[in-house]
Amino acid sequence: MNINPVLLKEAKVRMRGWRAAGIVALYLVILALVTIFVAYDSYNNIYSSTIDPGRSVGTYSALAVIQFILILFIAPALTAGAISGEREKQTLDLLLCTKLPTRSIILGKLVASISQIILLIIASLPVFSVIFMFGGISIAEIAQLFMFYIITAIAAGSIGIFYSSHMKKTTASTVLTYGTGAFMILGTLFIAWIYMGIFRDNNYKEIFPLLYANPLVGFVSLISEQFGGQGSLAGFLPGIGRTYTGTTKGMSPWIINLIFDGALTVLLITLSARKINPVKRKISIFKKKKI
Amino acid sequence: MLKIKDLVKTYGKFVAVNNLNLEIPQGEIYGFVGPNGAGKTTTMKIISGLLTATSGEVMVDNVDVTRNSRKIKESIGYMPDFFGVYDDLKVTEYLDFYASIYKIKEKERKKITDDLLELVDLSNKRESYVDSLSRGMKQRLCLARSLIHNPKLLILDEPASGLDPRARVEMKEILRNLKDMGKTILISSHILSELAELCTHIGIIDNGKMVISGSVSEIMQQVYSSRVIKLKVNDKLEQAEMVLKEFPNIDKITLGENTIQAGFEGSDQDMSRILATLVTRGIPVVTFSQLDGNLEDVFMKVTRGGEVQ
Repeated sequence: MNINPVLLKEAKVRMRGWRAAGIVALYLVILALVTIFVAYDSYNNIYSSTIDPGRSVGTYSALAVIQFILILFIAPALTAGAISGEREKQTLDLLLCTKLPTRSIILGKLVASISQIILLIIASLPVFSVIFMFGGISIAEIAQLFMFYIITAIAAGSIGIFYSSHMKKTTASTVLTYGTGAFMILGTLFIAWIYMGIFRDNNYKEIFPLLYANPLVGFVSLISEQFGGQGSLAGFLPGIGRTYTGTTKGMSPWIINLIFDGALTVLLITLSARKINPVKRKISIFKKKKI
Repeated sequence: MLKIKDLVKTYGKFVAVNNLNLEIPQGEIYGFVGPNGAGKTTTMKIISGLLTATSGEVMVDNVDVTRNSRKIKESIGYMPDFFGVYDDLKVTEYLDFYASIYKIKEKERKKITDDLLELVDLSNKRESYVDSLSRGMKQRLCLARSLIHNPKLLILDEPASGLDPRARVEMKEILRNLKDMGKTILISSHILSELAELCTHIGIIDNGKMVISGSVSEIMQQVYSSRVIKLKVNDKLEQAEMVLKEFPNIDKITLGENTIQAGFEGSDQDMSRILATLVTRGIPVVTFSQLDGNLEDVFMKVTRGGEVQ
Protein backbone atom coordinates (compact mmCIF):
# COMPACT_ATOMS: atom_id res chain seq x y z
CA MET A 1 0.00 0.00 0.00
CA ASN A 2 1.33 3.40 -0.96
CA ILE A 3 1.06 5.81 1.93
CA ASN A 4 1.54 9.47 1.11
CA PRO A 5 5.30 10.05 1.68
CA VAL A 6 4.73 13.57 3.00
CA LEU A 7 2.28 12.19 5.57
CA LEU A 8 4.75 9.49 6.63
CA LYS A 9 7.59 11.97 6.96
CA GLU A 10 5.46 14.47 8.87
CA ALA A 11 4.14 11.78 11.20
CA LYS A 12 7.70 10.63 11.90
CA VAL A 13 8.97 14.12 12.60
CA ARG A 14 5.94 15.27 14.59
CA MET A 15 5.91 12.22 16.83
CA ARG A 16 9.66 12.37 17.48
CA GLY A 17 10.89 13.56 20.85
CA TRP A 18 8.92 14.86 23.80
CA ARG A 19 6.97 17.58 22.01
CA ALA A 20 4.11 15.39 20.78
CA ALA A 21 3.82 13.56 24.10
CA GLY A 22 4.01 16.91 25.90
CA ILE A 23 1.11 18.33 23.87
CA VAL A 24 -1.04 15.26 24.59
CA ALA A 25 -0.14 15.42 28.28
CA LEU A 26 -0.92 19.13 28.56
CA TYR A 27 -4.18 18.66 26.67
CA LEU A 28 -5.29 15.85 28.93
CA VAL A 29 -4.29 17.74 32.05
CA ILE A 30 -6.51 20.67 31.00
CA LEU A 31 -9.45 18.36 30.25
CA ALA A 32 -8.93 16.35 33.42
CA LEU A 33 -8.82 19.50 35.58
CA VAL A 34 -12.08 20.71 34.06
CA THR A 35 -13.67 17.29 34.65
CA ILE A 36 -12.48 17.12 38.26
CA PHE A 37 -13.73 20.64 38.92
CA VAL A 38 -17.18 19.98 37.43
CA ALA A 39 -17.53 16.51 38.99
CA TYR A 40 -16.42 17.81 42.41
CA ASP A 41 -19.02 20.56 42.13
CA SER A 42 -21.70 17.97 41.35
CA TYR A 43 -20.74 15.74 44.30
CA ASN A 44 -20.87 18.65 46.69
CA ASN A 45 -24.36 19.68 45.73
CA ILE A 46 -26.06 19.80 49.13
CA TYR A 47 -29.51 19.45 47.64
CA SER A 48 -28.82 16.03 46.19
CA SER A 49 -28.05 12.82 48.02
CA THR A 50 -27.73 10.63 44.92
CA ILE A 51 -25.97 10.96 41.58
CA ASP A 52 -28.36 12.61 39.19
CA PRO A 53 -28.06 11.62 35.51
CA GLY A 54 -29.19 15.12 34.58
CA ARG A 55 -26.02 16.42 36.17
CA SER A 56 -23.94 14.73 33.47
CA VAL A 57 -25.30 17.41 31.12
CA GLY A 58 -23.16 19.97 32.90
CA THR A 59 -20.02 17.82 32.92
CA TYR A 60 -20.52 16.75 29.32
CA SER A 61 -21.17 20.32 28.16
CA ALA A 62 -18.14 21.63 30.01
CA LEU A 63 -15.86 18.94 28.56
CA ALA A 64 -17.31 19.33 25.08
CA VAL A 65 -16.88 23.11 25.16
CA ILE A 66 -13.31 22.94 26.44
CA GLN A 67 -12.38 20.31 23.84
CA PHE A 68 -14.07 22.36 21.10
CA ILE A 69 -12.14 25.50 22.05
CA LEU A 70 -8.85 23.59 22.27
CA ILE A 71 -9.39 22.04 18.84
CA LEU A 72 -10.26 25.40 17.29
CA PHE A 73 -7.02 26.81 18.67
CA ILE A 74 -4.79 23.84 17.89
CA ALA A 75 -5.92 22.91 14.35
CA PRO A 76 -4.91 26.20 12.67
CA ALA A 77 -1.65 26.29 14.63
CA LEU A 78 -0.70 22.89 13.27
CA THR A 79 -1.40 23.77 9.65
CA ALA A 80 -0.74 27.51 9.31
CA GLY A 81 2.97 26.85 8.83
CA ALA A 82 2.66 23.67 6.81
CA ILE A 83 3.52 25.06 3.39
CA SER A 84 5.02 28.43 4.33
CA GLY A 85 7.34 26.52 6.68
CA GLU A 86 8.55 24.45 3.72
CA ARG A 87 9.08 27.70 1.85
CA GLU A 88 11.05 29.18 4.73
CA LYS A 89 13.18 26.04 4.98
CA GLN A 90 13.67 26.21 1.20
CA THR A 91 12.42 22.66 0.82
CA LEU A 92 9.20 23.40 -1.09
CA ASP A 93 10.96 23.66 -4.46
CA LEU A 94 12.59 20.31 -3.82
CA LEU A 95 9.18 18.73 -3.28
CA LEU A 96 7.73 20.48 -6.30
CA CYS A 97 10.48 19.29 -8.62
CA THR A 98 9.69 15.68 -7.74
CA LYS A 99 6.86 13.83 -9.43
CA LEU A 100 4.68 14.13 -6.32
CA PRO A 101 1.42 15.89 -7.27
CA THR A 102 0.79 19.15 -5.44
CA ARG A 103 -2.52 17.88 -4.03
CA SER A 104 -0.58 14.99 -2.41
CA ILE A 105 1.72 17.50 -0.74
CA ILE A 106 -1.27 19.48 0.55
CA LEU A 107 -3.21 16.40 1.64
CA GLY A 108 -0.14 14.86 3.28
CA LYS A 109 0.39 18.01 5.30
CA LEU A 110 -3.28 18.34 6.24
CA VAL A 111 -3.78 14.71 7.19
CA ALA A 112 -0.57 14.73 9.27
CA SER A 113 -1.87 17.72 11.23
CA ILE A 114 -5.36 16.31 11.57
CA SER A 115 -3.90 12.97 12.73
CA GLN A 116 -2.35 14.82 15.62
CA ILE A 117 -5.73 16.30 16.51
CA ILE A 118 -7.40 12.90 16.17
CA LEU A 119 -4.75 11.58 18.55
CA LEU A 120 -5.73 14.28 21.04
CA ILE A 121 -9.43 13.46 20.60
CA ILE A 122 -8.86 9.73 21.08
CA ALA A 123 -6.58 10.39 24.05
CA SER A 124 -9.41 12.37 25.62
CA LEU A 125 -11.81 9.38 25.52
CA PRO A 126 -10.93 8.12 29.02
CA VAL A 127 -11.64 11.61 30.38
CA PHE A 128 -15.00 11.68 28.59
CA SER A 129 -15.84 8.23 29.99
CA VAL A 130 -16.32 9.91 33.37
CA ILE A 131 -19.70 11.01 32.01
CA PHE A 132 -20.86 7.38 31.96
CA MET A 133 -20.62 7.39 35.76
CA PHE A 134 -23.54 9.82 35.78
CA GLY A 135 -25.39 8.37 32.81
CA GLY A 136 -27.64 10.33 30.47
CA ILE A 137 -25.17 10.40 27.55
CA SER A 138 -24.86 7.50 25.12
CA ILE A 139 -21.77 6.29 23.29
CA ALA A 140 -23.48 7.21 19.99
CA GLU A 141 -23.80 10.81 21.14
CA ILE A 142 -20.14 10.97 22.08
CA ALA A 143 -19.26 9.46 18.68
CA GLN A 144 -21.45 12.13 17.06
CA LEU A 145 -19.63 14.85 18.97
CA PHE A 146 -16.19 13.44 18.06
CA MET A 147 -17.17 13.25 14.40
CA PHE A 148 -18.17 16.90 14.60
CA TYR A 149 -14.78 17.73 16.18
CA ILE A 150 -12.84 15.91 13.47
CA ILE A 151 -14.71 17.51 10.54
CA THR A 152 -14.46 20.94 12.16
CA ALA A 153 -10.73 20.38 12.75
CA ILE A 154 -10.26 19.39 9.09
CA ALA A 155 -12.04 22.55 7.96
CA ALA A 156 -10.03 24.73 10.38
CA GLY A 157 -6.88 22.93 9.23
CA SER A 158 -7.65 23.59 5.57
CA ILE A 159 -8.01 27.29 6.29
CA GLY A 160 -4.50 27.13 7.78
CA ILE A 161 -3.19 25.20 4.76
CA PHE A 162 -4.86 27.66 2.38
CA TYR A 163 -3.19 30.70 3.91
CA SER A 164 0.05 28.81 4.34
CA SER A 165 0.19 28.05 0.64
CA HIS A 166 -0.63 31.63 -0.28
CA MET A 167 1.60 33.47 2.21
CA LYS A 168 5.39 33.52 2.15
CA LYS A 169 5.74 33.82 5.91
CA THR A 170 4.25 31.57 8.57
CA THR A 171 3.53 34.56 10.81
CA ALA A 172 1.29 36.18 8.19
CA SER A 173 -0.39 32.85 7.50
CA THR A 174 -1.05 32.25 11.21
CA VAL A 175 -2.51 35.73 11.72
CA LEU A 176 -4.81 35.38 8.71
CA THR A 177 -5.89 31.88 9.74
CA TYR A 178 -6.89 32.96 13.25
CA GLY A 179 -8.43 36.13 11.80
CA THR A 180 -10.62 34.08 9.48
CA GLY A 181 -11.50 31.74 12.34
CA ALA A 182 -12.46 34.71 14.50
CA PHE A 183 -14.61 36.10 11.69
CA MET A 184 -16.33 32.76 11.17
CA ILE A 185 -17.17 32.52 14.86
CA LEU A 186 -17.59 36.08 16.11
CA GLY A 187 -17.95 38.02 12.87
CA THR A 188 -20.87 35.98 11.55
CA LEU A 189 -22.56 36.18 14.96
CA PHE A 190 -22.13 39.94 15.03
CA ILE A 191 -23.57 40.29 11.52
CA ALA A 192 -26.45 37.99 12.48
CA TRP A 193 -27.18 40.00 15.61
CA ILE A 194 -27.22 43.24 13.67
CA TYR A 195 -29.37 41.73 10.93
CA MET A 196 -31.83 40.27 13.40
CA GLY A 197 -31.85 43.46 15.42
CA ILE A 198 -33.01 45.37 12.36
CA PHE A 199 -35.32 42.85 10.70
CA ARG A 200 -36.44 40.56 13.51
CA ASP A 201 -40.13 40.45 14.20
CA ASN A 202 -42.44 37.89 15.65
CA ASN A 203 -42.67 36.00 12.37
CA TYR A 204 -38.91 35.46 12.11
CA LYS A 205 -38.39 31.79 12.84
CA GLU A 206 -35.41 30.95 10.66
CA ILE A 207 -31.74 30.83 11.48
CA PHE A 208 -29.76 33.56 9.71
CA PRO A 209 -28.11 31.72 6.73
CA LEU A 210 -24.60 33.08 7.41
CA LEU A 211 -24.64 31.32 10.76
CA TYR A 212 -24.59 27.91 9.09
CA ALA A 213 -20.92 28.66 8.38
CA ASN A 214 -20.27 29.28 12.07
CA PRO A 215 -18.69 26.26 13.79
CA LEU A 216 -19.85 27.52 17.18
CA VAL A 217 -23.45 27.54 15.95
CA GLY A 218 -23.00 24.00 14.65
CA PHE A 219 -21.49 22.90 17.94
CA VAL A 220 -24.20 24.53 20.07
CA SER A 221 -26.95 23.10 17.89
CA LEU A 222 -25.44 19.62 18.19
CA ILE A 223 -25.18 19.80 21.98
CA SER A 224 -28.69 21.26 22.24
CA GLU A 225 -30.07 18.54 19.99
CA GLN A 226 -28.39 15.89 22.11
CA PHE A 227 -30.16 17.34 25.13
CA GLY A 228 -33.51 17.43 23.31
CA GLY A 229 -33.48 21.14 22.63
CA GLN A 230 -32.57 21.99 26.21
CA GLY A 231 -29.45 23.75 27.35
CA SER A 232 -28.58 27.32 28.14
CA LEU A 233 -25.99 27.59 25.37
CA ALA A 234 -28.66 27.75 22.66
CA GLY A 235 -30.09 30.88 24.19
CA PHE A 236 -26.99 32.86 23.26
CA LEU A 237 -27.22 32.28 19.57
CA PRO A 238 -29.80 33.96 17.34
CA GLY A 239 -32.17 31.50 15.78
CA ILE A 240 -30.66 28.41 17.40
CA GLY A 241 -32.93 28.40 20.41
CA ARG A 242 -36.01 28.51 18.21
CA THR A 243 -34.79 25.71 16.02
CA TYR A 244 -35.37 23.15 18.75
CA THR A 245 -38.60 24.45 20.09
CA GLY A 246 -40.47 22.90 17.23
CA THR A 247 -40.87 26.09 15.25
CA THR A 248 -38.36 25.18 12.55
CA LYS A 249 -38.27 22.03 10.51
CA GLY A 250 -35.57 20.68 8.21
CA MET A 251 -31.94 19.74 8.57
CA SER A 252 -30.22 20.49 11.85
CA PRO A 253 -27.84 23.46 11.76
CA TRP A 254 -24.90 21.29 12.85
CA ILE A 255 -25.41 18.96 9.89
CA ILE A 256 -25.59 21.94 7.51
CA ASN A 257 -22.49 23.29 9.21
CA LEU A 258 -20.66 20.00 8.61
CA ILE A 259 -21.72 19.99 4.94
CA PHE A 260 -20.44 23.56 4.68
CA ASP A 261 -17.16 22.50 6.33
CA GLY A 262 -16.80 19.63 3.87
CA ALA A 263 -17.38 21.87 0.87
CA LEU A 264 -15.03 24.51 2.28
CA THR A 265 -12.32 21.90 2.83
CA VAL A 266 -12.55 20.59 -0.74
CA LEU A 267 -12.46 24.13 -2.13
CA LEU A 268 -9.50 25.25 0.01
CA ILE A 269 -7.46 22.11 -0.69
CA THR A 270 -8.06 22.51 -4.43
CA LEU A 271 -7.06 26.19 -4.33
CA SER A 272 -4.00 25.44 -2.21
CA ALA A 273 -2.83 22.64 -4.51
CA ARG A 274 -3.33 24.93 -7.47
CA LYS A 275 -1.48 27.78 -5.80
CA ILE A 276 1.70 25.80 -5.17
CA ASN A 277 1.64 24.11 -8.56
CA PRO A 278 4.39 25.77 -10.58
CA VAL A 279 2.87 24.63 -13.85
CA LYS A 280 -0.65 25.96 -13.45
CA ARG A 281 -3.09 24.93 -16.09
CA LYS A 282 -5.21 27.87 -17.09
CA ILE A 283 -8.92 27.46 -16.63
CA SER A 284 -10.47 27.58 -20.10
CA ILE A 285 -12.68 30.62 -19.45
CA PHE A 286 -9.62 32.66 -18.54
CA LYS A 287 -7.59 31.54 -21.54
CA LYS A 288 -6.75 34.28 -23.94
CA LYS A 289 -8.08 33.73 -27.38
CA LYS A 290 -5.46 33.29 -30.06
CA ILE A 291 -5.58 36.06 -32.58
CA MET B 1 19.39 15.14 -24.01
CA LEU B 2 18.43 18.79 -23.42
CA LYS B 3 17.25 21.12 -26.13
CA ILE B 4 16.09 24.66 -25.47
CA LYS B 5 14.64 26.67 -28.33
CA ASP B 6 13.80 30.38 -28.25
CA LEU B 7 13.11 30.33 -24.52
CA VAL B 8 11.61 33.54 -23.14
CA LYS B 9 10.64 34.31 -19.55
CA THR B 10 9.26 37.68 -18.61
CA TYR B 11 8.08 39.14 -15.31
CA GLY B 12 5.88 42.04 -16.36
CA LYS B 13 8.14 44.21 -18.47
CA PHE B 14 11.32 42.63 -17.16
CA VAL B 15 12.80 40.05 -19.49
CA ALA B 16 14.64 37.44 -17.42
CA VAL B 17 15.42 35.07 -20.29
CA ASN B 18 15.50 36.39 -23.82
CA ASN B 19 15.32 33.95 -26.75
CA LEU B 20 17.71 31.47 -25.24
CA ASN B 21 18.85 28.53 -27.33
CA LEU B 22 20.84 25.65 -25.94
CA GLU B 23 21.57 22.05 -26.72
CA ILE B 24 23.37 19.50 -24.58
CA PRO B 25 24.13 16.05 -25.99
CA GLN B 26 23.86 13.03 -23.70
CA GLY B 27 26.79 12.47 -21.36
CA GLU B 28 28.13 15.99 -21.67
CA ILE B 29 28.76 18.49 -18.91
CA TYR B 30 27.57 21.93 -19.81
CA GLY B 31 28.83 24.87 -17.78
CA PHE B 32 26.32 27.68 -17.53
CA VAL B 33 28.17 30.89 -16.77
CA GLY B 34 26.89 34.37 -16.19
CA PRO B 35 26.86 37.26 -13.75
CA ASN B 36 24.25 37.45 -10.99
CA GLY B 37 20.78 38.05 -12.39
CA ALA B 38 21.78 36.91 -15.86
CA GLY B 39 18.97 34.34 -16.01
CA LYS B 40 20.81 31.13 -15.11
CA THR B 41 18.58 30.09 -12.20
CA THR B 42 15.41 31.10 -14.08
CA THR B 43 16.44 28.91 -17.01
CA MET B 44 17.28 26.02 -14.70
CA LYS B 45 13.96 26.34 -12.88
CA ILE B 46 12.07 26.28 -16.17
CA ILE B 47 13.88 23.09 -17.19
CA SER B 48 13.11 21.54 -13.79
CA GLY B 49 9.42 22.39 -14.06
CA LEU B 50 9.49 24.94 -11.24
CA LEU B 51 8.64 27.85 -13.51
CA THR B 52 6.66 28.14 -16.68
CA ALA B 53 8.20 29.75 -19.70
CA THR B 54 6.52 32.73 -21.31
CA SER B 55 7.31 31.22 -24.69
CA GLY B 56 9.73 28.81 -26.29
CA GLU B 57 10.33 25.13 -26.03
CA VAL B 58 12.28 22.98 -23.60
CA MET B 59 12.77 19.33 -24.50
CA VAL B 60 14.37 16.83 -22.16
CA ASP B 61 15.04 13.45 -23.69
CA ASN B 62 12.68 14.42 -26.55
CA VAL B 63 9.83 15.16 -24.13
CA ASP B 64 8.33 18.64 -23.85
CA VAL B 65 8.81 19.93 -20.31
CA THR B 66 5.70 22.11 -20.22
CA ARG B 67 3.34 19.50 -21.64
CA ASN B 68 4.64 16.55 -19.63
CA SER B 69 5.88 18.19 -16.48
CA ARG B 70 5.24 15.13 -14.28
CA LYS B 71 6.83 12.64 -16.63
CA ILE B 72 9.85 14.81 -17.16
CA LYS B 73 10.55 15.01 -13.44
CA GLU B 74 11.61 11.38 -13.47
CA SER B 75 14.43 12.26 -15.86
CA ILE B 76 15.67 15.33 -14.01
CA GLY B 77 17.61 15.71 -10.80
CA TYR B 78 17.60 19.31 -9.62
CA MET B 79 19.91 20.75 -7.02
CA PRO B 80 19.18 24.40 -6.19
CA ASP B 81 21.71 26.93 -5.00
CA PHE B 82 20.51 26.51 -1.40
CA PHE B 83 20.62 23.47 0.88
CA GLY B 84 16.93 22.63 1.22
CA VAL B 85 17.30 19.99 3.88
CA TYR B 86 15.03 18.90 6.73
CA ASP B 87 17.10 19.44 9.84
CA ASP B 88 14.90 17.17 11.95
CA LEU B 89 15.59 14.09 9.85
CA LYS B 90 18.55 11.74 9.87
CA VAL B 91 20.67 11.50 6.72
CA THR B 92 19.22 8.10 5.74
CA GLU B 93 15.67 9.23 6.56
CA TYR B 94 16.14 12.27 4.36
CA LEU B 95 17.15 10.17 1.37
CA ASP B 96 14.51 7.55 2.20
CA PHE B 97 11.83 10.25 2.11
CA TYR B 98 12.72 11.28 -1.43
CA ALA B 99 13.11 7.65 -2.48
CA SER B 100 9.55 7.01 -1.30
CA ILE B 101 8.32 9.99 -3.34
CA TYR B 102 9.73 8.31 -6.45
CA LYS B 103 8.05 5.06 -5.35
CA ILE B 104 11.34 3.19 -5.09
CA LYS B 105 10.63 -0.15 -3.43
CA GLU B 106 11.62 -0.37 0.20
CA LYS B 107 13.94 -3.31 -0.45
CA GLU B 108 15.91 -1.31 -3.03
CA ARG B 109 16.02 1.90 -1.02
CA LYS B 110 18.72 0.78 1.40
CA LYS B 111 21.12 -0.19 -1.36
CA ILE B 112 20.48 3.00 -3.32
CA THR B 113 20.90 5.10 -0.18
CA ASP B 114 24.13 3.29 0.73
CA ASP B 115 25.53 3.70 -2.78
CA LEU B 116 24.67 7.38 -2.90
CA LEU B 117 26.12 8.04 0.54
CA GLU B 118 29.30 6.34 -0.58
CA LEU B 119 29.37 8.40 -3.76
CA VAL B 120 29.09 11.66 -1.83
CA ASP B 121 31.37 10.37 0.95
CA LEU B 122 28.77 10.55 3.73
CA SER B 123 28.62 6.86 4.65
CA ASN B 124 29.95 7.59 8.12
CA LYS B 125 27.19 10.18 8.69
CA ARG B 126 24.25 7.98 7.78
CA GLU B 127 22.72 8.02 11.27
CA SER B 128 23.51 11.67 11.97
CA TYR B 129 20.85 14.31 11.99
CA VAL B 130 21.04 16.60 8.95
CA ASP B 131 21.21 19.51 11.38
CA SER B 132 24.63 18.34 12.59
CA LEU B 133 26.23 18.27 9.12
CA SER B 134 28.66 20.89 7.87
CA ARG B 135 27.77 23.14 4.94
CA GLY B 136 29.80 21.05 2.51
CA MET B 137 28.21 17.84 3.78
CA LYS B 138 24.71 19.28 3.43
CA GLN B 139 25.56 20.30 -0.11
CA ARG B 140 26.74 16.76 -0.87
CA LEU B 141 23.63 15.31 0.74
CA CYS B 142 21.55 17.58 -1.45
CA LEU B 143 23.41 16.24 -4.46
CA ALA B 144 22.72 12.67 -3.31
CA ARG B 145 19.05 13.58 -3.04
CA SER B 146 18.98 14.84 -6.60
CA LEU B 147 20.40 11.48 -7.71
CA ILE B 148 18.01 9.27 -5.74
CA HIS B 149 15.85 8.35 -8.75
CA ASN B 150 18.82 7.90 -11.07
CA PRO B 151 17.98 10.82 -13.37
CA LYS B 152 19.44 11.13 -16.84
CA LEU B 153 19.87 14.88 -16.57
CA LEU B 154 21.32 16.67 -13.55
CA ILE B 155 20.71 20.36 -13.08
CA LEU B 156 23.09 21.80 -10.54
CA ASP B 157 22.69 25.45 -9.64
CA GLU B 158 25.96 26.72 -8.21
CA PRO B 159 26.79 23.49 -6.37
CA ALA B 160 30.11 24.83 -5.10
CA SER B 161 28.90 28.20 -3.86
CA GLY B 162 29.76 29.00 -0.28
CA LEU B 163 32.00 25.96 0.11
CA ASP B 164 35.54 26.06 1.43
CA PRO B 165 38.35 25.05 -0.97
CA ARG B 166 38.49 21.48 0.36
CA ALA B 167 34.73 21.00 -0.01
CA ARG B 168 34.96 22.43 -3.52
CA VAL B 169 37.60 19.93 -4.49
CA GLU B 170 35.44 17.13 -3.06
CA MET B 171 32.39 18.37 -4.97
CA LYS B 172 34.43 18.57 -8.17
CA GLU B 173 35.60 15.01 -7.64
CA ILE B 174 32.01 13.79 -7.25
CA LEU B 175 30.96 15.60 -10.40
CA ARG B 176 33.83 13.94 -12.28
CA ASN B 177 32.54 10.57 -11.06
CA LEU B 178 29.05 11.45 -12.27
CA LYS B 179 30.50 12.41 -15.63
CA ASP B 180 32.18 9.01 -15.79
CA MET B 181 28.82 7.41 -14.98
CA GLY B 182 27.47 8.99 -18.14
CA LYS B 183 25.18 11.57 -16.59
CA THR B 184 24.32 14.66 -18.58
CA ILE B 185 24.96 17.65 -16.36
CA LEU B 186 23.99 21.29 -16.61
CA ILE B 187 25.98 23.17 -14.01
CA SER B 188 26.09 26.84 -13.22
CA SER B 189 28.91 28.43 -11.35
CA HIS B 190 30.88 31.57 -10.83
CA ILE B 191 34.08 29.62 -10.43
CA LEU B 192 34.95 29.66 -14.08
CA SER B 193 38.33 27.99 -13.89
CA GLU B 194 36.69 24.97 -12.24
CA LEU B 195 34.08 24.80 -14.97
CA ALA B 196 36.75 24.90 -17.66
CA GLU B 197 38.41 21.84 -16.12
CA LEU B 198 35.16 19.98 -15.64
CA CYS B 199 32.91 20.92 -18.54
CA THR B 200 32.89 19.75 -22.11
CA HIS B 201 30.79 22.72 -23.17
CA ILE B 202 30.31 26.23 -21.85
CA GLY B 203 27.58 28.77 -22.37
CA ILE B 204 27.87 32.36 -21.23
CA ILE B 205 24.60 34.10 -20.49
CA ASP B 206 24.18 37.79 -19.85
CA ASN B 207 21.00 39.84 -19.43
CA GLY B 208 18.97 36.75 -20.29
CA LYS B 209 20.71 36.23 -23.61
CA MET B 210 23.14 33.50 -24.52
CA VAL B 211 26.21 35.44 -25.50
CA ILE B 212 28.36 32.55 -26.55
CA SER B 213 28.04 28.78 -26.44
CA GLY B 214 30.15 25.82 -27.50
CA SER B 215 33.05 23.66 -26.43
CA VAL B 216 35.69 25.36 -24.31
CA SER B 217 38.20 25.44 -27.19
CA GLU B 218 35.55 26.71 -29.63
CA ILE B 219 34.72 29.53 -27.29
CA MET B 220 38.36 30.44 -26.89
CA GLN B 221 38.67 30.47 -30.65
CA GLN B 222 35.54 32.57 -31.10
CA VAL B 223 36.54 35.09 -28.49
CA TYR B 224 40.18 35.30 -29.41
CA SER B 225 40.38 35.67 -33.17
CA SER B 226 43.89 34.20 -33.12
CA ARG B 227 45.64 31.69 -30.93
CA VAL B 228 48.88 32.54 -29.17
CA ILE B 229 51.92 30.28 -29.45
CA LYS B 230 54.93 30.44 -27.20
CA LEU B 231 58.30 28.85 -27.75
CA LYS B 232 61.49 28.73 -25.76
CA VAL B 233 64.86 28.24 -27.39
CA ASN B 234 68.33 27.57 -26.01
CA ASP B 235 70.00 29.75 -28.62
CA LYS B 236 69.46 31.37 -32.04
CA LEU B 237 66.55 33.57 -30.93
CA GLU B 238 66.84 35.96 -33.91
CA GLN B 239 67.04 33.04 -36.35
CA ALA B 240 63.91 31.56 -34.85
CA GLU B 241 62.14 34.89 -35.29
CA MET B 242 63.17 34.96 -38.95
CA VAL B 243 61.80 31.47 -39.50
CA LEU B 244 58.48 32.40 -37.90
CA LYS B 245 58.16 35.52 -40.07
CA GLU B 246 58.23 33.27 -43.13
CA PHE B 247 54.79 31.96 -42.19
CA PRO B 248 51.96 34.20 -43.35
CA ASN B 249 49.61 33.01 -40.59
CA ILE B 250 51.91 34.30 -37.83
CA ASP B 251 51.84 37.89 -36.60
CA LYS B 252 52.51 40.07 -33.56
CA ILE B 253 55.82 38.46 -32.68
CA THR B 254 57.24 39.55 -29.36
CA LEU B 255 60.66 38.53 -28.11
CA GLY B 256 61.53 37.76 -24.54
CA GLU B 257 64.64 36.30 -22.91
CA ASN B 258 65.02 33.05 -24.91
CA THR B 259 61.26 33.08 -25.56
CA ILE B 260 59.07 34.13 -28.45
CA GLN B 261 55.36 34.76 -28.30
CA ALA B 262 53.34 35.16 -31.49
CA GLY B 263 49.79 35.37 -32.72
CA PHE B 264 48.75 32.47 -34.90
CA GLU B 265 45.78 31.66 -37.07
CA GLY B 266 45.57 28.14 -38.37
CA SER B 267 45.02 24.50 -37.65
CA ASP B 268 46.93 22.11 -35.41
CA GLN B 269 48.64 20.73 -38.55
CA ASP B 270 49.88 24.21 -39.37
CA MET B 271 51.32 24.44 -35.89
CA SER B 272 53.17 21.14 -36.21
CA ARG B 273 54.56 22.31 -39.57
CA ILE B 274 55.98 25.43 -37.93
CA LEU B 275 57.61 23.34 -35.22
CA ALA B 276 59.06 20.91 -37.79
CA THR B 277 60.52 23.83 -39.83
CA LEU B 278 62.13 25.33 -36.73
CA VAL B 279 63.75 22.02 -35.84
CA THR B 280 64.98 21.24 -39.38
CA ARG B 281 66.52 24.74 -39.57
CA GLY B 282 68.56 23.82 -36.51
CA ILE B 283 66.78 25.98 -33.95
CA PRO B 284 67.30 24.39 -30.50
CA VAL B 285 63.61 24.44 -29.42
CA VAL B 286 63.13 23.65 -25.74
CA THR B 287 59.34 24.12 -25.53
CA PHE B 288 56.66 24.89 -28.10
CA SER B 289 53.11 25.36 -26.93
CA GLN B 290 49.84 27.16 -27.40
CA LEU B 291 48.82 29.55 -24.64
CA ASP B 292 45.37 28.74 -23.34
CA GLY B 293 43.13 31.73 -22.89
CA ASN B 294 41.75 32.18 -19.40
CA LEU B 295 38.01 31.55 -19.11
CA GLU B 296 37.73 34.49 -16.75
CA ASP B 297 39.17 36.69 -19.48
CA VAL B 298 36.63 35.28 -21.92
CA PHE B 299 33.85 35.96 -19.44
CA MET B 300 34.96 39.53 -18.89
CA LYS B 301 35.41 40.06 -22.59
CA VAL B 302 31.93 38.93 -23.60
CA THR B 303 30.04 40.39 -20.64
CA ARG B 304 31.84 43.64 -20.02
CA GLY B 305 29.89 45.86 -17.65
CA GLY B 306 26.78 43.85 -18.27
CA GLU B 307 26.81 44.83 -21.92
CA VAL B 308 27.05 42.16 -24.53
CA GLN B 309 30.10 42.62 -26.69
